[in-house]
Amino acid sequence: MATDARILPLARPAPRGILRSLLLTLPILLWSLLMFGNPNSHADRLSHISGAITALFMTVLFFMMMRTHSTYRWRRIFFVSLGILFPIGFIHNLFVMRGSMGIPIEEMIAGRTPFCFMPIPLLILPAAFTRTLIFPGSIAGNSHGIAAMVALWLALTLVMGKGWCSYACLFGGIEEGVAAIPRRAKIRKLNPRLRYLPWAVLLAMVLLSLAIYEPAYCMWLCPFKAVTEYVAARNTIGLVQNVIFVLLFAGLVIVLPFLTKKRTQCSWFCPFGAFQSIFNKISIFEIKIDQARCKPCLLCQNACPNLSLSKESVARGETLLSCMKCGACVDICPRQAVVWHIKGTGIQAKSEPAWRRFPYIICAVSVLIGCVYIFIARGLFEASNPARALRFLLAACGVAVIFGGILIVRGLINAPNPERARLMFLYGAWAMAIMFGGSIIAQGIATILHFIV
Amino acid sequence: MKLRPILGYTAAAMTLLAALLTPFLLMGLFSNGFVALGFHVDDMYTGGPKERTIPMGAYSIDIHRPVYPHMLQTEKPFVQLDWTPVSALPQHVSDAVDIDGDGQPDVRVSFDVPKDPKAPLRVDVDSLNPRYQAMQHAGKEKYSRLIVRVDKAILVRIPLANP
Repeated sequence: MATDARILPLARPAPRGILRSLLLTLPILLWSLLMFGNPNSHADRLSHISGAITALFMTVLFFMMMRTHSTYRWRRIFFVSLGILFPIGFIHNLFVMRGSMGIPIEEMIAGRTPFCFMPIPLLILPAAFTRTLIFPGSIAGNSHGIAAMVALWLALTLVMGKGWCSYACLFGGIEEGVAAIPRRAKIRKLNPRLRYLPWAVLLAMVLLSLAIYEPAYCMWLCPFKAVTEYVAARNTIGLVQNVIFVLLFAGLVIVLPFLTKKRTQCSWFCPFGAFQSIFNKISIFEIKIDQARCKPCLLCQNACPNLSLSKESVARGETLLSCMKCGACVDICPRQAVVWHIKGTGIQAKSEPAWRRFPYIICAVSVLIGCVYIFIARGLFEASNPARALRFLLAACGVAVIFGGILIVRGLINAPNPERARLMFLYGAWAMAIMFGGSIIAQGIATILHFIV
Repeated sequence: MKLRPILGYTAAAMTLLAALLTPFLLMGLFSNGFVALGFHVDDMYTGGPKERTIPMGAYSIDIHRPVYPHMLQTEKPFVQLDWTPVSALPQHVSDAVDIDGDGQPDVRVSFDVPKDPKAPLRVDVDSLNPRYQAMQHAGKEKYSRLIVRVDKAILVRIPLANP
């Protein structure tokens, strides 16, 4: 198999040319400009500067992903930045609005508690049985409302499946950053059964939330309350809750990741991560192991930050359900046996000459779609006749969809290619990361600039 | 040309398209769809729907429907009364309130209204009907037993006696 010309070489690929990398990055540049480059918005100057910095940051990272063929280390820079900057911006906002990180009971009664994605699985059973949402927030009305966050989660889950945990989670970046600090893991032997713990936590929290009609995980066990907002300690119970938050944060997010070089909170504890794993079943993108190439050295298993690979799963040529699509296993494999994959397609790589046409096809489609969005969505949609502008937008989108769809299907179907799967996943995931995580990074940068300037 | 790869790549392309449409279309669609499902936030937080209003001259008292806990919820059943607007309240409020609408006062609620909106509030409730529990110098210990200022109103939650 290794001598077949249709198969990529066993060695790591050479860096892609700068021009080709730039072309591949062009859609992301356009998207970043669309997300952060609106000169008509009424944001202040610092917000514009932080938006520009974020757009540049995200575009450069994507360029490096294209140039180096590596995903994990560049994604990690984004993700750790998100993990650090989210609490900075969020806590600053809390102090500006209410002068404390503690949520006073008045705010909960007024429905002003910002809704985080963590309680989503806990809301399902009470909502199904009694149409009641057991969260002290508001359903609609602002970007922190329950409906807005559920909509965002749904859209991102459609695109990424459990990739949420690598490209959108606001908290995982902290432990990923801590895990990156030591050169070697101090604790290497980890009991594989621990990877089932999040499912147990999920089941327990869902049932407990139904019983006590409160988001039990948020009230008692969320480690990230220590760096966001917590129930104001107005009595002994509140004090105990806050001590639990701090201890869990110190143990699962700081100490254990440092000792194991794994995302231990995600691997062993997070009920939302377990819930999100279910959506890997419907996600079209996945990681596969080409058994024809794989000599089971298990470097991938060691590199996985989420314990999503085992000897058995490698032997089956697949990851476990909890795979976060971070790309660590793909990048570390010396034989390119671990590959990005689109369900239903083959996993073998195609020959290089045919592959060269693909970036230009993607670019043509992306430029077209980018132009449609920039010149029509931003220009006409804000015109005085929104109904007519909407018709223009829909027509232009229809043309882009048909044109892009034909090109993509024609270019893709004839020859399956892991790099195509990687690119298609990354375009979607990075667009989502810019939209959600990018805006939070921009807010964090704006906060820092606010203090400096 | 096999069907499975066609479906695979088409689904991947649709996923990409969904990503592009998310901020412009899907977010709004999903968000409106969720709102249309008709869920409501638990009454333990909101205080339940407002049932009637008692005019008290410059201000009024809104009476909410009693809220009962679900299953193992640790709170007691309560009824919420809103004094609104705060700006029209005297420095000391002491009102006899007919909660159940039978023409007889059920509780007498007394509290001071400090000028500083962040100052802590304390309430005394004398029970004139055994259905409602008395409270002495209560602050904001529990959802079912509190006095807080929320926007332009002062909310008092009075626990109901066990049936």
